[in-house]
Amino acid sequence: MNIVVCIKQVFDPEAPASAYKIDAEARRVILKGVPPVLSPFDENALEAALRIKDAHQSKVTVISVGRNLSKAVLMKSLAVGADELLLLEDSAFEEMDSYTTAFTLASAIRKLGQYDLILTGREAADTNAGNVGCGIAEILGIPSITIVRKVEIDDGKVIAERVTLDGYEVIEAPLPCLITVSNELGELRYATVQQLVSSRKKPIMTWNAQQLGLDPSQMRQTRLLRLFIPQKESRCEVVGGETAEEMGANLAVKLRVAKIL
Amino acid sequence: MNNGIKLDKRLYNFTTRCVRCAECTFGYKNAEFELFCPIYNKFNFFTYSLGGIAQLARALHEGRINLTESVMDIVYHCTNCGACAEVCAEVDFPDMMELQHEVRARCVEAGQVPFAHMAVIEGLKKDDNMMQKPKAERGKWAEGLEVKDITQEKAEVYYHAGCRYCFDEELWPAARSAVNLLKKAGIDVGIAGKDETCCGGRAFEIGYQGEFIKYAENNVEMLRTAGIKTVVTSCSDGYYAFKVLYDKIDKKGDLQVFHITEYLDRLMKEGRLRLTKSAPLTVTYHDPCHLGRKVEPWLRKEEKLEAAEIYQPPRDLLNRIPALKLIEMRRIKENAWCCGAGGGIIDAHPDFARWVASERIEEAKATGAEAIVTACPWCKRNFSDAIKESGERLKIYDIVELIEQAR
Repeated sequence: MNIVVCIKQVFDPEAPASAYKIDAEARRVILKGVPPVLSPFDENALEAALRIKDAHQSKVTVISVGRNLSKAVLMKSLAVGADELLLLEDSAFEEMDSYTTAFTLASAIRKLGQYDLILTGREAADTNAGNVGCGIAEILGIPSITIVRKVEIDDGKVIAERVTLDGYEVIEAPLPCLITVSNELGELRYATVQQLVSSRKKPIMTWNAQQLGLDPSQMRQTRLLRLFIPQKESRCEVVGGETAEEMGANLAVKLRVAKIL
Repeated sequence: MNNGIKLDKRLYNFTTRCVRCAECTFGYKNAEFELFCPIYNKFNFFTYSLGGIAQLARALHEGRINLTESVMDIVYHCTNCGACAEVCAEVDFPDMMELQHEVRARCVEAGQVPFAHMAVIEGLKKDDNMMQKPKAERGKWAEGLEVKDITQEKAEVYYHAGCRYCFDEELWPAARSAVNLLKKAGIDVGIAGKDETCCGGRAFEIGYQGEFIKYAENNVEMLRTAGIKTVVTSCSDGYYAFKVLYDKIDKKGDLQVFHITEYLDRLMKEGRLRLTKSAPLTVTYHDPCHLGRKVEPWLRKEEKLEAAEIYQPPRDLLNRIPALKLIEMRRIKENAWCCGAGGGIIDAHPDFARWVASERIEEAKATGAEAIVTACPWCKRNFSDAIKESGERLKIYDIVELIEQAR
């Protein structure tokens, strides 16, 4: 099986809120001393791919698109078991919206040739748009199943458990198919330092926009107008009372007056 | 390919003012124990020195070179000991180690860091410690100690053990002794046990400033909730983190931070602790970088000169121990040779870390002392490993262990 996993490099989403600064003019986030990491849901997608590889003979290709991609960070995907890494890097790949990203990734997947299953995270941890996975499937004309917590391959078909509000549903689809993976699938396995070091031997390809026959500047469907951190104000009034019951009653009255109850 | 990095104007100006005098590299090579830059003196290339890093940083900023793996490797060989900044005669800049810190932060942002550090930070994020050990075991060092837990009851003083003391079992006695000494002196001390988290200092030093801020905020919030105003720690790195780094990001507030040596020295001066038993031993004292030289620039800059330099209190403590004789090494106080553990070196370049330590061991042996004493668990661990590897007979003590023996 040929499995493609699309992984986005993002700034570590666990960075503290106080570390975020905005360059309003450049409409860019500035995060000091915060490393780029693999977007967490994309890590779940990679774990899904590796579990299929554990069970069926497969080749896992990881693709990432962007500017200033960090090989060191993306090589973690090779260290945990992916077979090859394809970097789509070009200075033109800046301020990419969902459509441009999906189209670029779809073009690269077409150029790769053979693919049976495409896995992405349900959404990127920085923009949280959740469009690219489905977008790739639409552009390639294949079915997609979103927010999946379990993926199995059986007799040329994919069987996926899709997370719903009150449980999950089981969906079957033919291959090729695209799946967006959610965190319920499970964390990406760890790579040892040894595995990180030996991942250097695995192939890394780099393609630019020209090689894909694309002009990203002409593809953008959205434009970022303003980037800002919303000012949050909070007031806290502690409701008093002699006893717990009185405090409860006073709180209930306040909530009624505020039209919440 | 990662391109250059951008420094702020102040740091860039600093890099342009380096005249390449190379004072940051040499001591008097014909004299024994005069050298002070561990990396330059091991690898013999200017690029590893403060001046070298300044030239690299300038070239990166100006786009003349790219941030490649080789450049990153040079940057990440520095132990961050600050000896270079001490001797730089040419440039008037308050805290030159800031250059190392900023270049490393840029390396982290570019995703260009040693694999060992990536693994350490994964461990930190998962288990809140730098030792890649399970969080649940953090409180084991204090089992049976009968000390307050600040998350459960009120205490006046918080003793922060630190990751190295918590998870390095051989070092537990020193941490336990510190708590016992404080209790003996009547101090209302508490610990956080398994709820203690890393101070974040090492994460800062290896460039993960975002991660550091998280831990700083968490620790300050924990102490605020517990109503703690005084922190005492036996770890010099932890001391530097709480006292200097938290202050740099305006998180320290009015928290009073003491190293165990200055706190015990104070208690003895007040007559609350007495040493009566003999400890007949000839020792030499190693000044941890994070306890003196690295604290100075910040405190001087902010004109906060209270106990700015912790060179004398440990010596006063040792001189109070009956029958103990202190002989000084050649390179002491602000000129001390680094132990080799700092700046992430103990994780990324352990062989180099042990070489640095072995150089210090030679210097200690040359004094004729039976033992080397230090006031930091990272120093002690690195010296212990170097001594074991070389089969030397020099003993190694944490200063608190000697004080406990003499109590």
